[in-house]
Amino acid sequence: RALGRPAGPPSTRQLREAEEAAPVFQYAGKAARRKDRVFVWGFSHSGALGVPSFVKPDAGWKKPRRIQPTPYRLETEEKISSAACGYGFTLLASNTTDVTKVWGMGLNKDSQLGFQRSRRDQTKGYEYVLEPSPIPLPLEKPQQTRVMQVSCGRAHSLILTDSEGVFTLGNNSFGQCGRKVIEDEIYSESHLIHQLKEFDSRVVQVVCGQDHSLFRTKKGAVYACGWGADGQTGLGHYNITSVPTKLRGDIAGVNIVQVSSYGDCCLAVSDEGDVFGWGNSEYLQLASVTETTQVNVPRHLPFKIGKIKEAACGGTGNVVLTEEGNVFVWGYGILGKGPNLIETAVPEMIPPSLFGWSDSNPDLRVAHVRCGLSQFAALTNRGELFVWGKNLRGCLGTGRLEDQYFPWRV
Amino acid sequence: LNAAPRPPPRQQIRFLPTPAAGGGAVELVPTRVPVLADHPLVRGPRFKRLKIGAGHRLDVKASGVFVLGVGHGNKLLTDLYNCHLTKVYTVGGLFGKATEDFSDTGKLVEKTTFDHITREKLERILAVIQGTNQKALLMYSNIDMKTQEAYELAVKGLIRPMEKSPPIITAVRCLQFAPPEFQLEIHCLHETQQYLRKIIHEIGLELKSSAVCTQVRRTRDGVFTLDDALPRTQWDLQSIRDAIQNCQLKVKTELEKTL
Repeated sequence: RALGRPAGPPSTRQLREAEEAAPVFQYAGKAARRKDRVFVWGFSHSGALGVPSFVKPDAGWKKPRRIQPTPYRLETEEKISSAACGYGFTLLASNTTDVTKVWGMGLNKDSQLGFQRSRRDQTKGYEYVLEPSPIPLPLEKPQQTRVMQVSCGRAHSLILTDSEGVFTLGNNSFGQCGRKVIEDEIYSESHLIHQLKEFDSRVVQVVCGQDHSLFRTKKGAVYACGWGADGQTGLGHYNITSVPTKLRGDIAGVNIVQVSSYGDCCLAVSDEGDVFGWGNSEYLQLASVTETTQVNVPRHLPFKIGKIKEAACGGTGNVVLTEEGNVFVWGYGILGKGPNLIETAVPEMIPPSLFGWSDSNPDLRVAHVRCGLSQFAALTNRGELFVWGKNLRGCLGTGRLEDQYFPWRV
Repeated sequence: LNAAPRPPPRQQIRFLPTPAAGGGAVELVPTRVPVLADHPLVRGPRFKRLKIGAGHRLDVKASGVFVLGVGHGNKLLTDLYNCHLTKVYTVGGLFGKATEDFSDTGKLVEKTTFDHITREKLERILAVIQGTNQKALLMYSNIDMKTQEAYELAVKGLIRPMEKSPPIITAVRCLQFAPPEFQLEIHCLHETQQYLRKIIHEIGLELKSSAVCTQVRRTRDGVFTLDDALPRTQWDLQSIRDAIQNCQLKVKTELEKTL
């Protein structure tokens, strides 16, 4: 007779037992941490994004990608702690104690990435570097010194170390590298990297404008060198300076905790929350204190918007972040409050609801702000990035090529 | 309903012949008489059947606010649908399991560990979900980004797609987190409950583990909240009439605001 019964649908008890006997998979352990990643986007034709296949595709039928409109992950060997974008070139730095600490990619016509020996011809250097290549630094103790920060200007770069001062490379036609201007100097394929050590205390922040450099020291002083025709060196004259000189004016004696510059205007924030500005004011950046279009001495900007935590200068517009986490913009251009607000001399607040603040989300604050030449970016405490401004060649990273008139999440 | 007092019958004016006072000739005198066609014996019971329509769907495994329209209310239902208001759900989930239909009663697919999950990681995933849905919201609302009115609507948070669109989540919040269980509050548009269960499953995948959905409960549907909803014990005529009356004003203001 039929000894085996046909299998019917499994009863609840059978199901439960099968579930308990199922193997448990582990995909991530308890100590799993997120790997820090670098993302690049924007104009890639000069190799500044560090992905060689964008400029020279690996298959013959593929076309080179001129613009990368959305963030693209860049693989790096080390964990990158500081990055800076210049005019067609990028610097990445890691604070490791290994021998290679800084990588550069992009335009190298003024040796702003150091000397990159060409593999085809050993005597010549590369004019365009397509992938992150190490920059050799003349360090005394290469296995102890750490690189804290890098900064890029139009054609020069500054690298800040913790114990060996500041290294400058690139174009020096206006003294922005902190050394004497040599007439008819040829900057391409140059091996020269200058080291700056004479400051009143350790340098803790370096900032590059288009053709000038700013150094902030631990004692709260600011030094400047480079082009000064718009007063951006803040030294009281409109000539070039080839040796870093301390700034006076309204910031003499004030403990400055942050300096910022990108174009020809500069802003400094003190520990008490005041903001000082100098440089170009053609776009109403400093119009709250003066009618002149160039200011060559730091002036205090009497804004009544609360204690200021961070400031950032763009080419034509400026942005500050207050202690409460509000963002204020002023200047000229697409400021982030719709197409009707083109210019203002007095800071205007951007409504926090545009950054995701709402009744169900009241703890949202903006943590950092940064500027490009005509773009703004804000990072919130939830780790979201918002960008707005002119979208030149996909630099905003939104995936569209149109200008963005209010903050948009990337 | 039929036992309730009827409205008084219509009156009409008819000219009836009555003998004039003190005289013999018959005159036509206007008098009010009730219309016979409205008489209950002629008409019969007032309500033989009721038209009841349902608002947004709620499937068998979910619970919560379910909006019904009675009679003329069905037309208001269509108008409310065209307002495209957000709905709020409380969704409960469980880490460690993955099933075929994303709920805890389905066939088991895989079991995983979940001790590496912290509240901070969950919040980060929720922020990513909200951000991508924010972009979808702006795209499907078909507003030109370059205009001043787009900026003003974005500030107030009123940008919404006004036509058919795929499901969009406007806000997510973590209410409770006690691994392996967690509870989220989700504000969404044009969604189905199975989509919400799929979202829970995907959250589990993003956190390098797996998750199933244990509970989907709608706490708000446009203007109707849990306070307006009638529980099973109150499904009688009086409570229904009171509830309809309470909501009438709210519905009217919402419709006027949007349309």
